[in-house]
Amino acid sequence: MYNLSTVIKFEIMRTIKRKSFWIVVASFPIILALVATVIFFSNKSTGQAIQDVQNESFSIGYTDKSNLIDSDLTDKLSAKPISDKASGVSQVQSGSLDAYIYYPSSISSQQVEVYGQDVGIFKNSRYNAVATTLLTESVSSTVDDDIKQVLGGNVDFDSTTYRNGEVSDAIKELIAPGIFLVLFYFLIAVFANQMLNSTIEEKENRVIEMLLTTIEARTLIIGKIISLVLLGFIQGTLILLPGLIGYFALGSQLSLPSIDLSSIPLDPERILIGFIIFSISFIMFTGLLVAIGAAVPTAKEAGQFFGIVMTFIFGPLYAAPLFISAPDSPVVQTLTYFPLTAPIPLMLRNAVGNLSLMEAIIGTVILLITTAVIIRMAVRIFQFGALEYSRKLSLKEIFGRKA
Amino acid sequence: MVILPNKSNCSHVVSAKTIMYHGCMINKSKPIVSISDFVMKFGTTTVIDSLSFEIQKGETFGLLGSNGSGKTTIIRALLGIYSPTSGSLLVGDKPFSVDGAIKLGYLPEERGLYKKEKVIDAMVYFGQLKGMQKSEARQWSLDYLERVELGDKAKTSIDKLSGGQQQKVQLGVTVMNNPDLLILDEPTKGFDPVNRRLLMDIIEEHQRKGTTVIFVSHHMEEVERLCDRVILLKDGNKAAYGSIEAIRKEYDNKTLDELFIEIYGHKESDV
Repeated sequence: MYNLSTVIKFEIMRTIKRKSFWIVVASFPIILALVATVIFFSNKSTGQAIQDVQNESFSIGYTDKSNLIDSDLTDKLSAKPISDKASGVSQVQSGSLDAYIYYPSSISSQQVEVYGQDVGIFKNSRYNAVATTLLTESVSSTVDDDIKQVLGGNVDFDSTTYRNGEVSDAIKELIAPGIFLVLFYFLIAVFANQMLNSTIEEKENRVIEMLLTTIEARTLIIGKIISLVLLGFIQGTLILLPGLIGYFALGSQLSLPSIDLSSIPLDPERILIGFIIFSISFIMFTGLLVAIGAAVPTAKEAGQFFGIVMTFIFGPLYAAPLFISAPDSPVVQTLTYFPLTAPIPLMLRNAVGNLSLMEAIIGTVILLITTAVIIRMAVRIFQFGALEYSRKLSLKEIFGRKA
Repeated sequence: MVILPNKSNCSHVVSAKTIMYHGCMINKSKPIVSISDFVMKFGTTTVIDSLSFEIQKGETFGLLGSNGSGKTTIIRALLGIYSPTSGSLLVGDKPFSVDGAIKLGYLPEERGLYKKEKVIDAMVYFGQLKGMQKSEARQWSLDYLERVELGDKAKTSIDKLSGGQQQKVQLGVTVMNNPDLLILDEPTKGFDPVNRRLLMDIIEEHQRKGTTVIFVSHHMEEVERLCDRVILLKDGNKAAYGSIEAIRKEYDNKTLDELFIEIYGHKESDV
């Protein structure tokens, strides 16, 4: 592996020096901050608007066939009772009344009908808000607080589950090994394009022939894969670190929900399995994307294969509920052991705790063998495809040529 | 020792074991490049058919041929970029390897550099790949850039340089490790007259140092001026092989230009 460290240093340094690297690093916290700000102000303005609407005085008429509406409440709102629906609707149509609410005799089988003057998309919601408030407040006043909580779905539960006589928490147990699944998704999503383009750049710049006389193709490809893996960790750390620092430094001031890290169960076996599967999977897909990049002449052509690879990687996420509920089903077993789809099922099933040790070992061996084959193939493709500047290699050429 | 007749602008002193060329002793007993029974096929097409020749240490050797005659294929197979169908291609006494004893300077026909990198970073990287220390590669690069009047461009990205400036950088990268074997594949292709002059100066400098030069070119004037011996390829094999004087004698003292036309025909002489 002559010159391996030189390649790794060069690849890492030239990526770190690029603006695009730092734009990605900076964009995540900025986007998250923007989304949080928009949600915050959106929630605030929505709540405020509803309050404003409820406080706003406008003329209301109603017909209560349900006998649920509390007359004290309607009096407070100065809502006038109207004997029949046609009259109420007519008054709204003529403009003598701002809103009319019709409560039918059976709330469970019929709709509450609301009529009002059109005052714009947002302000029109005030009519429904008043109709709902009148109904819920009227009904609430007839029952005690406990029943109110039950009907409102506001009951708190404290569950305790046991495994082998010990208290266990399946959700919390998922967190530590599940981090690898999230990390894998994140790194592939952010880095896949860079992996794909890492060898195309050399090809497009016509630099390969000079490179191949100073370094072995195997060393170059392995150097590139190692540097991409390291860059993934560097970029991931740079993105997550400010968030973590911000959370622990400013969490209390910003009223962020506190996380008691000590309460998260750490299962060393599942964490180790998650780490191993994550690491091999990441290297395998890095190798695969590098190989694709070496086989095609331009970034544009590489893009055609990008979607296929992404489908293999993330497609299994659509079957996620199945991985949890039916781990022994043929679909789950197939996706778990097919090398290109294996990472997500293996990591997800490990996180939820239904991946047996034997399954983990078999899956890991499959991933290891596939990774070795892919890296060998990437080197071979790079050697043979390196000087094909205008066309992509066929499978026959890749596997048919003498090494 | 026998003094050979003058070949263009130089004189040769020959013994059984050595050649005196531009003041350098050339070891004739151990070829730096040995190619024997080399066959190269792409699919059903035979590009090179049982070719054998040697290049002596310290000589400047011309690899000549029409387009598609297999010149670049020979170089690529010699350097391990292509795997030969059969035969042996040795640099020193073994197949070329990047970490072998013989230092290589290679200017390929298809050439380029990392366009988004700074000039100095790209040069230092290649210097390191060629076995130089980082500081040594950096200092060499800065000195070279000063020499070729690009001293102020060291921190400029390569894609901001003109085509001629990029050629100068490419040349620097080719020779920066003081190679034992310098392979120049169509070196003047696309070069402007200024850079062509620079290239010739560099080749002559290395000849004086005793570097073995393999020169692939269509420019017969340059070949006659620089090369000790040549091989002319036709249909994947040698049409002529030996010293320029010997070959010219064999062909009634025709110039290489005339010889080229005679061997390849008028249609191919316009390459």
